[in-house]
Amino acid sequence: MRIPLLSMFIKSPFGGLLKHAEKVNECALAFQQAMECYFSKECMAFKELREKVTSLETEADDIKRSIRGNLPKGTMMCIEKFELFRYIKEQDTVPDRVEDALDWIFFKPEPGIPEELKKDLMLLIHSSINSVEEMCTMVLEAKKYFETFNEIQRNLVKEIIRSTRIKEHEADIVEARLKQRIFEIDLDPVSVFHLMRLVEIIGSIPDHVENAGDMIRAMIAK
Amino acid sequence: MSTQYYILIAGYILGFYMAWNIGANDVANAMASAVGAKAITIRQAVFIAGMLNVVGAVFIGSHVTNTIRKGIVSTEILVDPHIALIGALSALLSAALWVSFATWKSLPVSTTHSIVGAMIGFGIMAGGFSVVKWSKLAAVVLSWIISPVFSLIIAFVMFKLIVKIILSKKDPFVWSLKLSPFFIGITVFIVILSFVFKTPLGKTFAMGNLTALFLSLIIAIIFGFAGMKLLSRFIRNRKAGAEAIFKRIQIGTSCYVALAQGANDVANAIGPLAVIYFLVKTGNVGAEVPVPVFLLLFGGIGIAFGIAMAGARVMETVGKKITTLTNTRGFSVDFAAATTVLVASKMGLPVSTTHAAVGGVLGVGLARGIEAVNFRIIIKIMLYWVVTVPISAITTMIIFKILQFIL
Repeated sequence: MRIPLLSMFIKSPFGGLLKHAEKVNECALAFQQAMECYFSKECMAFKELREKVTSLETEADDIKRSIRGNLPKGTMMCIEKFELFRYIKEQDTVPDRVEDALDWIFFKPEPGIPEELKKDLMLLIHSSINSVEEMCTMVLEAKKYFETFNEIQRNLVKEIIRSTRIKEHEADIVEARLKQRIFEIDLDPVSVFHLMRLVEIIGSIPDHVENAGDMIRAMIAK
Repeated sequence: MSTQYYILIAGYILGFYMAWNIGANDVANAMASAVGAKAITIRQAVFIAGMLNVVGAVFIGSHVTNTIRKGIVSTEILVDPHIALIGALSALLSAALWVSFATWKSLPVSTTHSIVGAMIGFGIMAGGFSVVKWSKLAAVVLSWIISPVFSLIIAFVMFKLIVKIILSKKDPFVWSLKLSPFFIGITVFIVILSFVFKTPLGKTFAMGNLTALFLSLIIAIIFGFAGMKLLSRFIRNRKAGAEAIFKRIQIGTSCYVALAQGANDVANAIGPLAVIYFLVKTGNVGAEVPVPVFLLLFGGIGIAFGIAMAGARVMETVGKKITTLTNTRGFSVDFAAATTVLVASKMGLPVSTTHAAVGGVLGVGLARGIEAVNFRIIIKIMLYWVVTVPISAITTMIIFKILQFIL
């Protein structure tokens, strides 16, 4: 404290934000593995993969908390503090949803996914994971923008945000088709309920990514 | 007669100690942005700060020293040289004690404020309240409020300007190279001006104010374009961007900061010493003779000693802790702080280099240039700011009474 300049500089929240995004991405990839495992009848690792997702979700939570806890009153940032908090909350919903999906499967693992739905469901999972990856890049590029304030960089971030929007729309189409198919094929009501809910949970992931993108858009607005 | 010489020797020791403290603690504040932005290494910082603090102290340091010497306490009324001597020594001792305490307890205390407070205490004890030049003191205190704000505004404007005309452009590298003569030139202009405008050096060359202004402008333009040539020769990698250019320019601005610091802070160490010196040598404080160069040199060397002995360790911490500062930001902070301090020095106002640097960082922070800055530091600084002056004044009074009893 003898040197006031030292105590003026607080650890940047952007480093933590990026770390959180990477953790979320890791969590999403583990989720994909878990789902692939669940799809194939031979794979026995579902339980371990689910535990992996759960622990990654907890780690992401810890990062979120450390960002929130390390911004003392009177901190001035290049974005609003509560803007940042709302953003982390949105970004942190993604691993929550991923965990929810695996929990939901865990509650009723049998009889599994009907063969005729597997392709579309995998497609939905893929597009969800894709948009999470996109979110990770978005945070990285936004961080760079706040360092340079460069117009080209800003357009790059805007481009990524646009792409999250497009991905959300594509995922919506797949989700709608899946729901239609669930009603078309002959299933017992419990299975219909189970599948419907699962599709909805997975389908909400790109929605949250899109929201996160919109928040970043507001942050980089001039 | 011998007591007087003992007091003079004690004054030299304490003055050196104060200078040492400025070098050991305050220099880190001044060099922090350059070291933090990795524009210069710690070793370079120590070297630059050491050399240029001496230069600044010797060539530009006399104005502020004169303010401390005869600006705060009305010297004509100090009839008894014995009392005045004891008073000046108490002032130096009390400031040194308070600064040591602050270093020990890690408090953000300014050496400038300590010495001004001590001088007030000295004035009150030596000649009563009427001896203190309250109007001049008001100007000094006002400058403490104005200088960080001034620095904040310059840093804010400078950084916004850099964003507008360089960073946001399609090719920031080309633009920063193209505009580098402006950034180098403006820095050189103020530095040269401070050397020749109303200084003994300027008088030696028989330069009028207009000539000084003109000369500084010419030199600044030459330096600006020469700097651009050098930059374009050394930095070939366009990918490095604007930051690489400003990294080189920042080497220059860190020299600028060190110079300004020497010019302003040397008075904190040798202001009261100058009082003792004049009393012993001429029997009166208010002599119209300027502060002898060797005293300024003595103070400058004391600062350089402090930097060499303890500065490196402090700056190492700075480099590790300040990681979010880039070169364009560092340049804005350096430029704002140094300009503020140098302008204040020319006006004979003892301002705190630390506060100017803090103001600069806040300015860039307000311009949204730094990812996270703690603004609450201002409140803490203000608190110690308000506390320092009366504490060192009262300590001076107590020491005065004790010394009066002994001597």
